[in-house]
Amino acid sequence: MNKTLQHISLCLVLSASLTALSLNAYALDFGLNNLNVDKLISIAKKTQDLKPVDEKGEFEIGSGVAANLLGAAPLVKDEKLQAYVNRLGWWLALQTERPDIPWHFGVLESDGINAFAAPGGYVFITKGLLLRLRSEAELAGVLAHEISHVLKKHHLMAIQKGAQTGLLADVASMAVEGNQNSELAQKAIGAGTELYSRGLDKDDEFEADRMGVVIAARAGYDPYGLPAVLQTLESMNADDSNLALMFKTHPAPQKRLELLDAAMTGSLEKYATQVEGEERFVKVVGDYAKK
Amino acid sequence: MKIFKLFTAALLFSSLVAYAAEDPATTLVSTDLKQDPFIDAQVVINLPANTSVTVLKRQAGWMQVKSSGGAQGWLKMTSIKLGSGGTPAKGDNGIMSLFNVARSGRSGNNGVVVTTGVRGLTPEELKNASPNPAEVKKMDNFPKGKKEADTFASAGKLQSQQVDYLAAIQPTSTPTQNSKSFMPGGHK
Repeated sequence: MNKTLQHISLCLVLSASLTALSLNAYALDFGLNNLNVDKLISIAKKTQDLKPVDEKGEFEIGSGVAANLLGAAPLVKDEKLQAYVNRLGWWLALQTERPDIPWHFGVLESDGINAFAAPGGYVFITKGLLLRLRSEAELAGVLAHEISHVLKKHHLMAIQKGAQTGLLADVASMAVEGNQNSELAQKAIGAGTELYSRGLDKDDEFEADRMGVVIAARAGYDPYGLPAVLQTLESMNADDSNLALMFKTHPAPQKRLELLDAAMTGSLEKYATQVEGEERFVKVVGDYAKK
Repeated sequence: MKIFKLFTAALLFSSLVAYAAEDPATTLVSTDLKQDPFIDAQVVINLPANTSVTVLKRQAGWMQVKSSGGAQGWLKMTSIKLGSGGTPAKGDNGIMSLFNVARSGRSGNNGVVVTTGVRGLTPEELKNASPNPAEVKKMDNFPKGKKEADTFASAGKLQSQQVDYLAAIQPTSTPTQNSKSFMPGGHK
């Protein structure tokens, strides 16, 4: 419900600014004396009709964005590996405020070191990143970070923000409703895909980090898996072309690590003795790596 | 008493993450090496910035390290960078390092891992990709739902916990900085 509220508030801001705009327009057209109140009200009503993207729209945009991503890098053809990541992903998702949306997890056939989320419950990790992890707790940290982007609807909000600033004016009013593959949905999907190259707000990334470690702790893992991954990323050569996209679209790993450490100290340390899950991780991912 | 100690040690050990073949690391700033992984633990020695250390294991936000001078103790993970000197760590951290032999085409120790797979995703590739809805559909056949997740959790001895989300906290000072208020070898 909270998320709905955020959308509503975004919408209200949007409506308010549009209403202000129309007020100005009418003031210019008719002068204040001739203000056509009825017309104003109807326009205000219309702008209030701007709907946040509903769940159906969210799934439609999400599967469209996922299709684009999978067009650039397909799924790794290894059922055992994909099943492992999906079972882990679902176990994490069940610890959150959206346990019953259709979550989908996938390992991408790419040497790039990265992970992605798309609206509606799509979460991806590249083979390149997966093979650099040490344990299930580290994988849980990465997946939980992406799950958090879906929970907070960071990509959807970014698409709508883009709309608000006029880049995609008509997407703001999209409700998709029974309008499969409409032009508006296509625009939103395009904008959503573009976010993978442009990146989200830094604060969205920091928030997903803070939520990710909590979700990992709730799922029974050592929450320091994600910080450990960030430390690994920090140690890697920034000139490595496989890291280019992640470094371009995310705050520096060391900065993320320091903020996370500050937020976790005093509250999450007590969960550090929870499961590391090296054995199962090495078995499943190792079996795949040995192929 | 002894048994209790052993038990505690075993418990602790189970939560320690061994780092592959003693990873080299470097201190980012001047920092105190601690006897134990706690902020108020006794100081073993102060390590200047750019000291080479070897990582033995991690526990919570701490890394157990051995300095080049032979001192052993704990440092905050925020105060060290994996890799030695200015050289970045090899590109094969993590599970990859366990299967070096299996990965043919890996060229020496320059960190380049040659595989036949797709190279990293670039903005151009993302922009020019044609949508692949058939791949999205494939994902519908992956295991899903509570039953699968519960079985996975119990096989992995995972127990769910109630944990509240965290507030954002700005680090007050770099955790790597020395606090002057600590007495050298001070009381515990």
